[in-house]
Amino acid sequence: LISGALQWLAVVALAYFAAVNCVYLLFTAIAARELARRRRERLFAAEDEAFASPLTPPISILVPAYNEEAGIVESVRSLLSLRYPEHEVIVINDGSTDGTIARLTSEFDLVPVPKVLRAHLASAPVRVAYSSRRHAQLWVIDKENGGKADALNCGVNAARYPYLCAVDADAMLEEDALLRVAKPILDDPELVAASGGIVRIANGCRVDHGRVLKPGLPRRRLASVQVIEYMRAFLVGRIAWSRAGILLIISGAFGLFRRSLVEAVGGWSTKTVAEDVEIVVRLHRYLRERGEEYRIEFVPDPVCWTEAPEELRTLAWQRRRWHRGLGETLWKHRTVLGNPRYGSLGLIAFPYFALFELFGPVIEALGYPIVIAAFATGAVSLPFLLAFFVMSVLLGVLLSLSALALEEFSTRRAWRAADTARLVLIAILENLGYRQINAWWRLRALADLSFRRRQGWGEMRRRGLGLEAGRRAGAPAVSRRRLRRRFGGAA
Amino acid sequence: MLELLTLAALAFGLGGAFSVFALTARRLVVVRRERRRVAAEARLRPLALALLEGEAGSLHDLARRDARVLAGLIGRYRRRIRGESAERITAFFEQRGLVDRELRALRSRRALRRATAAFALGDMGAETATSALVRALQDPKRCVRASAARSLGSLEAVAAVDPIVHAFAERRVPRLIAGQALLAIAPRPLRSCAGLTSDPDPEARAFAIELLGLLGDPVDASYVLPHLRDTSAEVRAKAARALGRLGAEEAAAELAAALDDRIVFVRAVAARALGLVGDTNAVPALLEVARRDDFAAAHAAAAAAAHLDPRQVTVAAALEAAGPHLQEAATLLAVRG
Repeated sequence: LISGALQWLAVVALAYFAAVNCVYLLFTAIAARELARRRRERLFAAEDEAFASPLTPPISILVPAYNEEAGIVESVRSLLSLRYPEHEVIVINDGSTDGTIARLTSEFDLVPVPKVLRAHLASAPVRVAYSSRRHAQLWVIDKENGGKADALNCGVNAARYPYLCAVDADAMLEEDALLRVAKPILDDPELVAASGGIVRIANGCRVDHGRVLKPGLPRRRLASVQVIEYMRAFLVGRIAWSRAGILLIISGAFGLFRRSLVEAVGGWSTKTVAEDVEIVVRLHRYLRERGEEYRIEFVPDPVCWTEAPEELRTLAWQRRRWHRGLGETLWKHRTVLGNPRYGSLGLIAFPYFALFELFGPVIEALGYPIVIAAFATGAVSLPFLLAFFVMSVLLGVLLSLSALALEEFSTRRAWRAADTARLVLIAILENLGYRQINAWWRLRALADLSFRRRQGWGEMRRRGLGLEAGRRAGAPAVSRRRLRRRFGGAA
Repeated sequence: MLELLTLAALAFGLGGAFSVFALTARRLVVVRRERRRVAAEARLRPLALALLEGEAGSLHDLARRDARVLAGLIGRYRRRIRGESAERITAFFEQRGLVDRELRALRSRRALRRATAAFALGDMGAETATSALVRALQDPKRCVRASAARSLGSLEAVAAVDPIVHAFAERRVPRLIAGQALLAIAPRPLRSCAGLTSDPDPEARAFAIELLGLLGDPVDASYVLPHLRDTSAEVRAKAARALGRLGAEEAAAELAAALDDRIVFVRAVAARALGLVGDTNAVPALLEVARRDDFAAAHAAAAAAAHLDPRQVTVAAALEAAGPHLQEAATLLAVRG
């Protein structure tokens, strides 16, 4: 009986494995086709015209910041110098306990101004607003701590322009990133509700004054593995979802939204740890419930660079938080699941994220003991077990290498030969250990969610990206801060 | 089952190996091609500059690959220059038969090839391509239509004004590209835009009014003024903005009346426009809006009043009933001067 049950369970696990990987392969094929199309269309994107046009709408960039003294000046400087016809930068200091405000004040000659904020969205009280004598388009709002979502909502209240771009304080945008992420909106302002750009890992890159001068691979293996992960997530997953019109995630590090819609849905939610995912789902629901035609787009071209955790403990906290956030969002919007009223959102995206993303770690974690037990009881043979193991590793490698190939074929930049070789090696090795530990972290997140355990704040130990500039200015090169502030949600 | 797994493993392994092979091969090809292109561009740059200056000799003995690199190089220059040099570049493309080649490509079965050709014809400055590009505005593919519109703008093709305006009104060309093309052809699109202001579609009316505001001068305010009473709030707001951009002083009274519009964002745009028009008589009305109105209108009115009469705003901000918007505007005046 046990042998029969185990055999049956092994078949279920295998079927699940086959289904999820078929979906991944399908995503890869869609992404390859879409990237090829976009690469060719880039030849006539007319970016210069968009930059020069008085018809290009102005954008308010919102930068929530908590204990960011190490890199905030570089970050703001790079945002002020973005190539875009008209934009303002609003830094929302979310009750930092370090010298974030002091550094901003001295660098940008800030003076207190009794700025009036809208009262559309609730947020923690504002202490004081600052305007810069040197840059009229820079505002700094100093408020009491309320979390990233709360800071973003405060930024919405302070924003002047019809579009909002949420950017992490430690993220660095490429010079044309804003112009490129706004391209769908410039083309179809009535249709596009939001757009998100690609996020890449800046560890290992040569950075100066808030700009990545030369991309490179991180020295530490843990950060290098994340490079491959980000490629899979952004270049494969999001492009495919965007193509299907059901993109659920716009990275908290870099996303553009129509302000009126953000206000209409009530802003970013302060009750979830993945406010970036949740707001996109809410936008989908809001627009679908009103039967409006809309698009939420992912643009693979604009690049936002961010720092990845290099320590196992920090990474574990981050992944648990992301997974918990996904679970919270799916639970909060559970009425969408399988509901034909929401079309492909309810019938494809939600079931996929629930079955393959949220509960994937459970199946994966159960799969290992089941297969081993099935082998021990003779339900499956050793050759079968070995063949399955080799096949699953090779499939993982194939998916990673496909993402790497897509990156090489589709983007304007190429890795150094030595880095490409390292990435290939990492694509093989990540299947042996890293993948399993990742599943374990996500499983713990599910446990947190099930037992309603509050996740601790954790700490992010970061080196800072503009190290040289930071040292010159006398700022600490390494800072600690609460993890919640650092990572805005699932990549 | 075992055989199936073995086969799958073999297939994935081969797939992975192929990916590595493709990566390596592409890397080699890209590096080699890039190195060759950089070298060729460095070698041909003096020739391209000589061509711009009209000092280049015969180019007939130029190798085919070099001719392609040279064409790419001067095509990029063509986007930034005007006058005789631009004409010389166009002549170069025509003499080399490259214009004809791209015109043929406009009839290609592949949409991407058609779009690339439409784009290239604009960079080449080939005025002979105007009618073909106007026809391309009817292409079934949006990318081709957008490329054609952009190139017609580069060519400053007056004959394309009506077709571009209609292509936009029928949503066949992206708003930004249509607008930018019409701005490039300025001031000839004015009449077409004026015609479009009576379009039944409010979005088309709003677009036409916005362009009138960008292209016209104060005498064109007569086309825009009636739309301050349009049924669509979006159109009323665009009309107010356009009147502000045009600096239409005779519209000041109508704009001041628009401060009582029932939609707050129309009131806000009207306030901003009054600031741009520069009518100091509007300051008391603006101060009143700044004191009493909803956020957007009050904020815009305070900024406009500060722009028109900083002293009055400073005085008004000191009063007890000034309200926060006037206080903010007065502080900003003190901070930024």
